Amino acid sequence: MNIRNNPILRQKLAAEYVLGTLRGGARRRFELWLHQDADLRNITAEWQQRLAPMAEFAGAVTPPKKIWRDIERRLGLKQHAHSWQFWKNDNLAFWRSLGMVSTALTAMLLVIVLRGAGEAPAPAAAATYVAALADEKTQTAMLVTADARHHDMEIRVAAGIAVQPGHSLHLWAVPKQGHPRSLGLVTAGRTVLPLPAQGLGDDVAALAVSLEPPGGSPDPNGPTGPVVYKGAWVRL
Amino acid sequence: MSTDVHPLDPQQLKSWLLASGKRDPAAFRRLYDATSAKLFGFALRILNKRELAEEVLQESFVAIWNNAANYQSHLAAPMTWMATIVRNKAFDHLRRTNTTVEIDAEQFDGEVMNALQDPQRTPIEALQLSGDAKALAWCMSALEGAHRQVVALAYYHDLSHSEVASQMKLPIGTVKTWIRRSLEKLRTCLARAEQS
Repeated sequence: MNIRNNPILRQKLAAEYVLGTLRGGARRRFELWLHQDADLRNITAEWQQRLAPMAEFAGAVTPPKKIWRDIERRLGLKQHAHSWQFWKNDNLAFWRSLGMVSTALTAMLLVIVLRGAGEAPAPAAAATYVAALADEKTQTAMLVTADARHHDMEIRVAAGIAVQPGHSLHLWAVPKQGHPRSLGLVTAGRTVLPLPAQGLGDDVAALAVSLEPPGGSPDPNGPTGPVVYKGAWVRL
Repeated sequence: MSTDVHPLDPQQLKSWLLASGKRDPAAFRRLYDATSAKLFGFALRILNKRELAEEVLQESFVAIWNNAANYQSHLAAPMTWMATIVRNKAFDHLRRTNTTVEIDAEQFDGEVMNALQDPQRTPIEALQLSGDAKALAWCMSALEGAHRQVVALAYYHDLSHSEVASQMKLPIGTVKTWIRRSLEKLRTCLARAEQS
């Protein structure tokens, strides 16, 4: 059958194809024509557009909350949605136990690398906590050491880590419970920031640095930009 | 959710859908928030069982995320595209599991039904529908009630002419004629609505 020159039939078949009443052999034949006939595809798309709004006539029913959680889980969206909650996605226990060893080791090495020659090393006993912050590829970018005696912390940024113009690097303490706490902005080279009044103790799981607009995150409760560096916060 | 933008504004939905195609989970979340209740209501009417509808809604949004990059905005409005996915998933599910659905005589929400039967008393403009759906509602309200029901039965329940005929206790020839005429009328009416 040739339907090319039969506009009325083309409309009828496309409409009933979309409605669903075109069945069996007629339906399969129509699908074959669709492959070869761009105009027929357009006619069919137009019928979709005409009839699909019927879906809305069913009325809205709010689906249970678990549906979204299941979709998020199936598609692995969660880590994108709340990037500062990376420690919820990663296995924290594993991460910390590994961090204990490797961060301490990295820290020791970095103290040497970053301080370089000519600078007197601070007394090791003063640094009670340390974090080596690494990027996604586990390249260490920063070393943070807390000095409980002087109530401050020192951040040393590895050479070659540049802040893009129009951005700032915002340092956060990520506690085991609750929102990240802002620690301040990090500049290239060496930064000294005061330790927060409540200190940075064992309730802090990790430190993280996010990329923010100049002046830091507009949200005091957490990053608004992507987390670019992170590392476990470990007692030496 | 922001209230200053109509949640079913097609331009807004389109931008969220295109952003989802570029793997933006925040945009996908907004798309879900804006459309999931409509699509869940639709799935529920087709499937008539809550747990089935929940499963199909989930499958549909997984498919929406996975296929969003292929969405062609010149071929279909976002709601059209998403509703078609939900409908296909629902019918697939029924075929796969060999489930028969108990068909409700009423396909549509009560208020929509009232508006379709008597738009003077229940104005279509006041319904929570997108612009496309309002236009279709106007044109469907101009059909005879039984004709409208035949079209809705076929659309919502994947019924053939003969299945619609036995459901409505009508001769198959009558069903064929009603469907053909109704579709023609809808096309003319929608074309007129677009021009005005």
